[in-house]
Amino acid sequence: MKKITIKITTLFLFTLLLGSCKKWVDYNPREDFRITELDYLQSETDYRTMAISVYTPLQWINQVVPIGDIASDNAVSGGENASDVLSLQQIDDYTHTPVNSALTEIWQSAYEGINRANYMTQYKAANVAGKAIDFAGKEALYGEVYFIRAYYYFTLVKMFGDVPLFVEKRLSLTESKSLQRTAKAEVYKQIEIDLNAAIAVLPAVQQQKGRITKYAAQALLGKVFLYQNKFDAAATVLESVITANAFTLPSNFAATFLAAGENGPESVFEIQYSNTSPYYNWPGYNRGQGNYSAQQCGIRGLNGTAAMPYAAGWSTNLPTQNLAAAYEAGDQRKAVTVLDIEAYKTANPSFNITYQVAPYKNTGLYNQKYLPRKGETSGQLELNYTNNFRIIRFAEVLLMAAEAYNRSTTPNDTKARDYLNRVRQRAFGDLLHNSSASGIALKQVIWDERRLELGMEGDRFFDLVRTGQAATKITGFVTGKHEVFPIPQLEVSISGLTQNNLY
Amino acid sequence: MKCKITILCLVIFLGTFLQQALAQNLSVTGSVKNKGTGESLAGATILVEGSATSTLTDANGRFAISAAKGSVLVISYTGMTTLRYTVTGSTTGEIQLEESATTNLGEVIVVGYGVQRVTKVSGAISTIRAADIDKLKPVRTEEILQGRASGVNVIQSGSPGSKPTVLIRGIPSFSGTDPVVIIDGVPQTLTDFNSINPIDIESISVLKDAATTAIYGVKGGNGVIVVTTKSGRKNQKAEITVSSNYGVQQVMNTIGVLNATEYAAMINEGSVTAGGNIIFPNLSTVGVGTNWQNEVFKNATFQTHTISARGGSDKMSYFLSAGYLNQGGIVGGNDKSRFNRGNFTANLSFNLTSKLTFIVNTTGVLLDSKGVQENSFNSVLGSALNFDPTVSVLNTVPNTVGKYGFSNLLLSEIFNPLTKLENTYNKNIGNKLYGKFELQYEVIKNLTLTSRFGYTKYDGNAKGFTPLVFYGPLNVENSMNADGSQVAGRFNTVSHEKTSNFNYTWETFGNYNFTVANDHNFETVLGVSVAKTSGNAAGASRQDVPFNSWEFADFTAATGNNTATNSNAVAGYYYQYFRRNLSYFTRVNYDYQSKYLASFTARRDGSYAFGSDNKFANFLSGSLGWVASSEDFFKSDFIDYLKIRGSYGSIGNENVSPQFVGIVTGGPSYGPTANSNGYTFGDVFYPGSTVGSAANNALRWEKQLQMNVGFDITFYKNKFSLSADYFEKKVDGLLFTPSASLYLGTVPIPTANIGSTSSKGMDVTLSYNETIGKSFRLNTSLTFTTSENLVTATNSDGTAKILGGGYFNGQSQTVTVFEKGFTPGYFYGYRTNGLFQTFDEITKAPTQAGAQPGDIRFMDMNNDGAITAADQTKIGDPFPDFTLGWNVGLEYKNFDFSVFTYASVGNDVYRAYERNANYSNKSRDVLGRWTGPGTTNDVRTPRYSFTDANSNIRVSERYVEDGSFVKIKNLQLGYTFPERMTKNVFSRLRIYAQVRNAFTFTKYTGFDPEISGGILDTGVDRGAYPQARTFSFGLDIKL
Repeated sequence: MKKITIKITTLFLFTLLLGSCKKWVDYNPREDFRITELDYLQSETDYRTMAISVYTPLQWINQVVPIGDIASDNAVSGGENASDVLSLQQIDDYTHTPVNSALTEIWQSAYEGINRANYMTQYKAANVAGKAIDFAGKEALYGEVYFIRAYYYFTLVKMFGDVPLFVEKRLSLTESKSLQRTAKAEVYKQIEIDLNAAIAVLPAVQQQKGRITKYAAQALLGKVFLYQNKFDAAATVLESVITANAFTLPSNFAATFLAAGENGPESVFEIQYSNTSPYYNWPGYNRGQGNYSAQQCGIRGLNGTAAMPYAAGWSTNLPTQNLAAAYEAGDQRKAVTVLDIEAYKTANPSFNITYQVAPYKNTGLYNQKYLPRKGETSGQLELNYTNNFRIIRFAEVLLMAAEAYNRSTTPNDTKARDYLNRVRQRAFGDLLHNSSASGIALKQVIWDERRLELGMEGDRFFDLVRTGQAATKITGFVTGKHEVFPIPQLEVSISGLTQNNLY
Repeated sequence: MKCKITILCLVIFLGTFLQQALAQNLSVTGSVKNKGTGESLAGATILVEGSATSTLTDANGRFAISAAKGSVLVISYTGMTTLRYTVTGSTTGEIQLEESATTNLGEVIVVGYGVQRVTKVSGAISTIRAADIDKLKPVRTEEILQGRASGVNVIQSGSPGSKPTVLIRGIPSFSGTDPVVIIDGVPQTLTDFNSINPIDIESISVLKDAATTAIYGVKGGNGVIVVTTKSGRKNQKAEITVSSNYGVQQVMNTIGVLNATEYAAMINEGSVTAGGNIIFPNLSTVGVGTNWQNEVFKNATFQTHTISARGGSDKMSYFLSAGYLNQGGIVGGNDKSRFNRGNFTANLSFNLTSKLTFIVNTTGVLLDSKGVQENSFNSVLGSALNFDPTVSVLNTVPNTVGKYGFSNLLLSEIFNPLTKLENTYNKNIGNKLYGKFELQYEVIKNLTLTSRFGYTKYDGNAKGFTPLVFYGPLNVENSMNADGSQVAGRFNTVSHEKTSNFNYTWETFGNYNFTVANDHNFETVLGVSVAKTSGNAAGASRQDVPFNSWEFADFTAATGNNTATNSNAVAGYYYQYFRRNLSYFTRVNYDYQSKYLASFTARRDGSYAFGSDNKFANFLSGSLGWVASSEDFFKSDFIDYLKIRGSYGSIGNENVSPQFVGIVTGGPSYGPTANSNGYTFGDVFYPGSTVGSAANNALRWEKQLQMNVGFDITFYKNKFSLSADYFEKKVDGLLFTPSASLYLGTVPIPTANIGSTSSKGMDVTLSYNETIGKSFRLNTSLTFTTSENLVTATNSDGTAKILGGGYFNGQSQTVTVFEKGFTPGYFYGYRTNGLFQTFDEITKAPTQAGAQPGDIRFMDMNNDGAITAADQTKIGDPFPDFTLGWNVGLEYKNFDFSVFTYASVGNDVYRAYERNANYSNKSRDVLGRWTGPGTTNDVRTPRYSFTDANSNIRVSERYVEDGSFVKIKNLQLGYTFPERMTKNVFSRLRIYAQVRNAFTFTKYTGFDPEISGGILDTGVDRGAYPQARTFSFGLDIKL
């Protein structure tokens, strides 16, 4: 009897084992102490911390700025030789093709930013677990997110034209290869929606420097209107930035481009860089906290005394003599925009400067606004320069407003001239160089002034395209093709997107 | 006694009653003895051929069985040659069995979750027996498999105790190719072979095809090595064995490098050719200098000692063993490089009741090893090959610290190898406990339930010390100044790491064997397995060790504290991991009169790592066999036995980790995609958070389909036996990153199962046994292993290239590639076509930047008129076309002699140990360099100059050599003392002399053409630790 019991028990246990414990192979990442999206967005802090990383890819798309000048008559690619920084060489020479690492990086980084913003908006009303998290300032925080998403789309649309548009969610692997390009006008419509939503909720002043303000959103909206030739709307929105009296033009133009001048009185929107989280990751060279493009434009083999302020670099993005010659005598902006190294060396014998003449496409000039400077980097020195990109300065707001008034359905050249001359007065430090032009002539003056004021800040190429001057100003520019850059080849071959015309 | 026999008879009677109730049988009795020792064999199996009737011998070797007159008894005993006895009457008398070295037809072999008679196996299995293992006295078990188990490719390493490359049937992947190791039914890994004493092993079965491995499902894809350790037998008299082996290891050969005068002359020439100055103005004073290889290679000890006892009583049996092994390293000697191991094993089996058996196997292992930097140009050996030969061994320069000489020419990377050795301090202590608890319950006859809990527990404790070192006054890598003071900003560091892991497998299964209508025999198994592996590690390091000495190298003694400028003074880390699996499995073996064989296996595996859509996977396999020689129509005096086999099935590999949508927080990402976080406001960095990983719910195991056909034949009076197998396998689902839309952003794309490879090949084993006269015996066996491998798919657009074999020779280079359309891990580089002799040749040749006469002429493979990166192509293959193992054993009276030869044919080696710095030493080949038109056209000896605009050092055929080799791996001569001399003290005493790695025949110019590594590192010789030649003496005693 007893033995039978043992037998039956054994058999029973045996069968029981066979049928049970499927949960054994379930997996919860918490067992590995890993945070998943189900655990996150549970508090105000989570939302605020995640919003910070929506900003992050702004730093990664730094090559938009050098490309804006290299693709224009402002700068050449430079570098060590014809195959150094090939992606920029080809853009300079107008031989660029869909295979271009710099363009691919901009495309992918901007979309990472969009996906990060989308993830925030996707879980705005309720988090992934379905719970609503409300806190004071949540709307204003989302104003920043809307602005940044608009900025990413604006970057994409001005570079590539029609691009895939999605705002509902962060795409997952299953949505790979599922999208086609959306018409430029539709993308602009979404940008306007986001910027208007941002303007409605953003504060005029932010405690932390570099956070998006209402004025930044208005200024960007004005720029977006200009790019669409919506001058009346542009004038209105830009006027509100100017009349707010929140910004001024400091008389010393050079000061704006020093470290001390970052986020200064004329700063409307700057992309922030720092060296306080040192970066070492060469494979992700332009995805750290530092401004990689500063290292790029430095002078090769530069050496000098401790007092000499500049650090060495790679002689890329060299201003042209054509740009230097565009400045009138007495314009303080020339020396701030282009550095004639030989003249500088002669003028400062005490610095004992030695340097290597730029080995390729030498112009003798360097991008003074964003030159790498000693002591402004850390970690892997090449990757951690602190130079902020001055994306929208008040001077540009004035010039944009001037252009908007000049080109409105009912032009207001008085206002246009007034705004233009505020910029010129700062440049020359007097009233003698004020413009008195009007009508079409004034329009050209404003356009030319943009080149001088914003030289080496990455706007020139896009301005030339926007104003229809590209074919006459840029050697190699083919109308109907080069207004936009090619869609990255990988995206065409993987996702099946159509390619831009003639590429 | 009589009672026992009665009971036995009764059991047999009951057991056979159902099947054979009406058969008229004799009750046959007899006894079984060991022919060699005369000892009675308890527990030998007596089987009536063609039936399920069987019995075991009792403590005195006696048996009784019911059998019909004329039927055949098959008497088998593990490790002995099986004997067949035809029943003529009611007694068999004394049956004597001989000890065997090779697999025999009557034997049983251990397969997954059971044993199987060799004659009934229809899958592909290679088997190794204790006799072979005992003879080799290997450090690691894999050594025994090399050349002895067909279908297994073992590439050994010379570093003491290190893990070799083991490939069973081809190369399925660029990673994760290790077979599964099962020790006494408990899953372990190849790495764990460092802790089993090979002398404790009874047998090894290598399961090769789907039919045999599918029972291990998702773990079986790379083949399975089933190890069975020794155990005692019931009612066995205690048998105590002592075995001891002591030897000396030495390096087999050194590499020809320049002596000091030759070196100085070459340096002068290189400098002058490049437009520089004479470096050594007076060659006559230089002399022959120092050969650094002679300084770093030391003779090292090798010893193994084992004492073991086995035996048993009525109710229990035991195997107890204690072993010690010491393998010193020939690079630097025992002090700097070594592998020591202590093993303690107790394998115990208790019969708790007549039906319930409790088995406890326990092994404790202590590991103690030290190592030197290996396999790179700046390792100890790399430095010995590349360091300045004009430097004297000892430092003679006044007012400089440092015992050994320094170079004023080589100022970084390559150091005096003795200085490197002297400053190498580390130790690795490991404790491992592994084994099993097993309950076997016989529910009814032939139905046994087994529940087994197997475990491995390991604790490792490692310490390393990086002292401050002075390498020479001009050296840029000094951390110590010439006066012994610390270089500012440099610190000595002590680092500790403790690792711990615990793996267990709990398996419950039932075996039921039955026979239907006399001739239809079934062996079935059904079970469930639950497994978990887990582990963690913690480490800490600290700078400023007192007195810069190993004696005080400990975290507690070091005094470093973090400051604003030095955040590395004190550092620590911790991590943990785990895996879980759940499996169900079943197998049915069927045979009809042992003539027609069939087997079916199914396993259902669940893994915690698979995506939610694929939590479980099914693996099925089947095999068929036909013993043609058992057919009535098969009449052959020549062929004694012939079986034809075939199998097909699926198996897998679980080389995936769970994927999920994770949130990362903090700052920058250092991953390859740099999906960074955080932003700066003003000048202050603020950490952020974002989605940092993505999930692929379709993630699954790697799937293999494998086909096998083969045959086993014995012929010429059972003297020859031949097994041959042909296999084809297709591996699907290798992990690759799919090509995904860029607009998904920069979150790393999760890997998916999209790669595939295919392999096909042959395994052959041929053996021959002969006895001439009374006193001469010969046994010899030959194995042949070959496989062809091809990568058939990688990522979704087929463009992925996995690069490996990285090394540095002045540029960072990679030489191996895993790529669609090629063999895995092939060498990739430029093909060469001699040397340019004249400028005219250069102008007429495809454009080759920087070329001058005397430079290597590279080949324009894509015919675009220029030598570019696109011209790189396949220049070699590190894996052999085939390997051969040949074992010869001779016995004459009391002498025995054995030779084991291993050959690997068609494997290329990439010579990557040459640093090519201006002042590094060079191979003697450079003496035959190009010096003018017509002097030489050999790509291995281009012109010599400090500047190399042509990049003669790029990855090219220049460095590829045929690494085919034949090695006499083992030579042994033994003498067993006659029983009459020893019987009062020992039951057996044998002494022997052994030479391991006696000779190597190869064209390869480096140390050793056998270069192990992963799939992407095999065959890349960065100065790999060569295998040592070992001379040893030993004795084996049975008390």
